[in-house]
Amino acid sequence: MKKKVIGLIDGQSGNIGSITKAIKDIISGRDYQLRIINGKFNPLNFNKIVLPGQGAYATLISNLKKFKIYDSLEQYLKNDSSYLGICVGMQILSDRGYEDKITKGLGIIKGDVKKFNNKKLIIPHMGWNSVQIKKEDLIVRKNFDRNDFYFVHSYTFQNTNKSDILATTYYGKNFPSIVKNGNIYGVQFHPEKSHKHGLNLIKNYILKS
Amino acid sequence: MLKTRIIPCLDIIKNKVVKGVNFKNIKVMGNAVEMAKKYSSTGADELCMLDINASYQNRKTFIKTVEAIAKVVNIPLTVGGGISEINDITDLLNAGADKVSINSAAVKNPKLIRQASLKHGSQCIVVAIDAKRYEKQMKVVIKGGREITNKELVSWAKRVHQLGAGEILLTSMDTDGVQKGFDSAMLKKVTSNVNLPIIASGGVGSLEHFYLGYLTKSTGLLAASVFHSGRYTINTVKKFLDKKGVPVRL
Repeated sequence: MKKKVIGLIDGQSGNIGSITKAIKDIISGRDYQLRIINGKFNPLNFNKIVLPGQGAYATLISNLKKFKIYDSLEQYLKNDSSYLGICVGMQILSDRGYEDKITKGLGIIKGDVKKFNNKKLIIPHMGWNSVQIKKEDLIVRKNFDRNDFYFVHSYTFQNTNKSDILATTYYGKNFPSIVKNGNIYGVQFHPEKSHKHGLNLIKNYILKS
Repeated sequence: MLKTRIIPCLDIIKNKVVKGVNFKNIKVMGNAVEMAKKYSSTGADELCMLDINASYQNRKTFIKTVEAIAKVVNIPLTVGGGISEINDITDLLNAGADKVSINSAAVKNPKLIRQASLKHGSQCIVVAIDAKRYEKQMKVVIKGGREITNKELVSWAKRVHQLGAGEILLTSMDTDGVQKGFDSAMLKKVTSNVNLPIIASGGVGSLEHFYLGYLTKSTGLLAASVFHSGRYTINTVKKFLDKKGVPVRL
């Protein structure tokens, strides 16, 4: 049987060590292989793609364009292929990002990504916070409800369609912490840094979705 | 709800966790990788590791230790000590650090904070500030408390925020190592003036001290000796805080 191929996009903005290790541990001994994507790729060669974004929205988009990843990824997502975006990798699924300047996103999940606008809040939202599961799914199980995941961000999704929200988290207000449209997922927290619940989420994504 | 983070700190020489005051009476507490693994699996919310003897020949071993620790923990890892330029930061992130902590280098060259946060994102740039009371002011100190700078604590904290720091690790040299509790007055002064996550450091010796640290509005509480010596497990601390109504990850 042909091995399933998981692509991991290196957006060159942070370390991809933790997520690489998490995926390798999960697929070890199974019919999967992991390939790092750092340039133009053929969308048909991948069964799943993970994008662990760090840093700013505008920087990630411009890096993806600079390394010629953007067009291939756009093509890949058009076919509703399986994708998991982490943190900024989730945020760029939106229509627009407002970090540094207004940047056009991939437009897969309706909404804008804007800064927390509550002056009383400590920004960035940094640390462990719980998720409230709104809709159960193959990768987002009911038993994740009220468990803690590790967050580091200052910007959140706004004006998202309720139907695209699998989970929310409270920080001054409820914001979408897990979104989904078709086979395309985004999580605002860092599952690779979120101990066993985070690793379970990655495991579910790879093995069950 | 956002939880208060409990953060064990490992002072490291090569691949050993050590304890010592100002490099004197250094005592080996254990193997760094084993201790990091234990803390990660027993409920630490983050780990902090500092190269306290960042000489050239020790650096290579330390970087290998960072790599080895990054492989066995699945919580965020902050690494500091011996950072003087942007390449040091890139090296540590490549070795598997999630955040880097800059101390003296930030004081000597504040532009480094901006440069680092632009390149890697504010989320991974922690500025460590050591401070102590001097001539009725709280002053920033460097070289492990031995050199007092002319920088006033709150204005420096505001400045590092503007320059792009994502977090401040604040150690009071007046309380560090004494185990009589965090420096609440100093911490409150910073948390009430700077809208960044603040990690409290220096002086924790009892369970009550952790609670008092929480009351300063610090979002992370860092401790070393009380964990390394085995006086408390992370779970003991968290259960105590939970009973007091502090949000913690259990």
